[in-house]
Amino acid sequence: MNALALWVHTPVAQAVGWALVHFLWEGAALAAVLAAALFLLRPSSARVRYAAACLTLFAMPVAFAITLLVLLPSHNIEAVTVVRLPNVARLSAVPLFQPVRAPRTFRDLLPWLAPCWFFGVAFFYARGVAAWFSARRLRQRGICAPPPDWQRRLTELCARMRLSRPVRLLESCFTDAPVLVGYLRPVILMPLGCLANLPTSQIECILIHELAHIRRHDYLVNLLQGFVEGLLFYHPAVWWASRMAREERENCCDDAVVELTGDARVYAATLATLEHRRAVALEAAVAATGGSLMKRIRRLLTEPQPAQPTAAPGFAAGLLLVTCAAALAAWPTKPPARHAIPTVALQARLLESQTIEPQSSPLSSALRKSQAARQGPSSFFGLVNFFAQSSTQTAPPAQRKGGDETAQRPITTPYLKWLNEDVAYIITDEERAAFLRLQADEEREHFIEQFWLRRDPTPDTVENEFREEHYRRIAYANEHFASRIPGWKTDRGRIYITYGPPDEIEDHSSGGSYQRPASQGGGTTSTFPFQQWRYRYIEGIGNNVIVEFVDPTMTGEFHMTMDPSEKDELRYVHLSQPPAGQPNSAAPARTAKVFRSDQDHRITIATGGGPDAGKGATRLNTLIITPDPVAGRYHISAEVTTMDGQTVQVVAQNVQAELSGPFVEWLELPAGSYILRATITDPNRVSKSSETRFTVD
Amino acid sequence: MSSKPPDPPRPTDAELEILTILWSRGASTVRAVHEAIVRRKPTQYTTVLKVLQIMAEKGLVRRDEKQRAHIYSASRPAEWTQRQLAGDLLQRAFGGSAKSLLLGALASRRASRQELAELRQFLEEYEKGTP
Repeated sequence: MNALALWVHTPVAQAVGWALVHFLWEGAALAAVLAAALFLLRPSSARVRYAAACLTLFAMPVAFAITLLVLLPSHNIEAVTVVRLPNVARLSAVPLFQPVRAPRTFRDLLPWLAPCWFFGVAFFYARGVAAWFSARRLRQRGICAPPPDWQRRLTELCARMRLSRPVRLLESCFTDAPVLVGYLRPVILMPLGCLANLPTSQIECILIHELAHIRRHDYLVNLLQGFVEGLLFYHPAVWWASRMAREERENCCDDAVVELTGDARVYAATLATLEHRRAVALEAAVAATGGSLMKRIRRLLTEPQPAQPTAAPGFAAGLLLVTCAAALAAWPTKPPARHAIPTVALQARLLESQTIEPQSSPLSSALRKSQAARQGPSSFFGLVNFFAQSSTQTAPPAQRKGGDETAQRPITTPYLKWLNEDVAYIITDEERAAFLRLQADEEREHFIEQFWLRRDPTPDTVENEFREEHYRRIAYANEHFASRIPGWKTDRGRIYITYGPPDEIEDHSSGGSYQRPASQGGGTTSTFPFQQWRYRYIEGIGNNVIVEFVDPTMTGEFHMTMDPSEKDELRYVHLSQPPAGQPNSAAPARTAKVFRSDQDHRITIATGGGPDAGKGATRLNTLIITPDPVAGRYHISAEVTTMDGQTVQVVAQNVQAELSGPFVEWLELPAGSYILRATITDPNRVSKSSETRFTVD
Repeated sequence: MSSKPPDPPRPTDAELEILTILWSRGASTVRAVHEAIVRRKPTQYTTVLKVLQIMAEKGLVRRDEKQRAHIYSASRPAEWTQRQLAGDLLQRAFGGSAKSLLLGALASRRASRQELAELRQFLEEYEKGTP
């Protein structure tokens, strides 16, 4: 202890102490410059802003080092001091007659800054080492190799991004979000189940994001950032600048994803889905305000940032002025720095509190008012609101008034959500009408209670098994069927929620080659990903119901393709309309069977069923031409011939159609083998012809 | 007294790897597990079989003997084991600090329920706004 007490009075310790003190204003000034730069660079790309943040952050230790060098005494004096140490020790060991100086001045305390700082640095660096070991452990424990085609796909992506370093993909049971570990031998860790349950396009987005980190050497920069943070841990400006760099870094990678995939919406949906999965998996949503993920999603979706009136530039300029004044006052003589410190520190704290939440300033005063009316929601909520308002400017005024005051008690969001999401598939039309007629929230609460009670299989117990099962199905659908749209809204989700888990699933989600049964012409064909769900019995529909889902766009969004005679019972109107005027016969439940899908031309032929299936020997067939992702005007010609080339039926003769969904045509064909020849010209005037053989049995 | 079997012990690192495969792929045969492991490091089929048998004895996995090829599945969900392992001192000491080193698409801080609802709402709004 004595040695320490002596050491702190050496010139070196003094110099370190002063350098630490001076860095208070230096750090604040640098942060102010960064704040101003970030504000001025708002329209620039994330890359520029990232560079600015990094530059500032790494300028901080440089400034500190320069200050230290300037203040450090020359070497001779240091040597002499060291030699004389023992004497001083004996002297100070008898401090009896030393006058007690009641108020300890700043100068007395200053030397102790250096050892305190050393301990702090040691603490942060020890933590860093622990983190490193822990990260290493993460890539060795609780992991498994993904299915081989994923590793292959990753290698392809690497090639596309011109990455030469080998990257490995592993599934881990310890991460709750996809992460990248390691610099020299980078590994991408995916949480369990992500690869299996998320649509391919979304996983590719994640992989590209992580690969962008690798390409930009972010792992290394992040390590260096940790060094700087640990070295100057006591200054909030350092942490703030570091945080800015981290945020902009994620933005840079987001941009890389959008650049490569060209679809910001899929990516935004990916981020939201991931966050959602994480919350579902851990059930531990720790309440926290702020929302950088929200900010990023908003940034992705609104490329031209809306102009935001803000006080930030004025603030930054003012701050800079004050800091400079403080600096000027502090610099010439050392003691006055004493007074400058509290102010500068305060400035730094102010700076942090103001600039960390830039979203609080840009809100217009109108929004502020609406926020106040909502009894102080977080600024995060305000942001969402802000965007919603600006994006739906054309909404009818009545609708906009909806969220306002309490006057006539229009139906509010939680109840609307209950009606349109929670029970959308199971509520009867009468119940829906009755619910919409209700006036007060208490009545609605009561209605909801009764609604579940009517369905409770065991009304005398507290548990409502029906409700629990229903919400489980919704959660399952959201977990497993989500793609660009939430799981419960997809066709699979709808069927799952309405009829529960199927008794059997035949899964061809990877598409690929498919051995056609001999009855359908035999041979091998390639298909879109599809799934067949079999229910042994569905009340009101029949036995052995097979529902088929196809994903013709390869996005993970499966559409139901099915015989329209069942359509009405399933309350599903989307894919195909039966010809007008046809009576809906009570045909036995038969499914349309897709036996040929042509990936290049996106043609599907389904046989069986039809609006009046079962009458006579003929059977109706469906020809479904699904447009490419681009909707627009298609020219379609198609005819069906016999195997020896005689025309049986002209399905479409240069039909012009505005397609945004599938093009469906009904044919009536006697049993036999046929060839469908189709020529499709898409909106980009690219023509494709195809020949599809099929059999009607 | 209680017919419930006692909780299985904490898995070792090798066992954890097998559990991870079972969680990821669902119930699998020994061959499938072995194939997944071999992709990462060379391992004998019999080693995997032996470890799985030990794990079945410990109660970490369940064995379905109805078919000729026995099918193994994890007896506890991943979340349960994660919670169990969180008690591990090493994990506790290091778990939090590693986050600063990892780079990922999501922040280490989790979103609140309200935030999640707003995220969804935001996406829906956006899709309505730009058909």
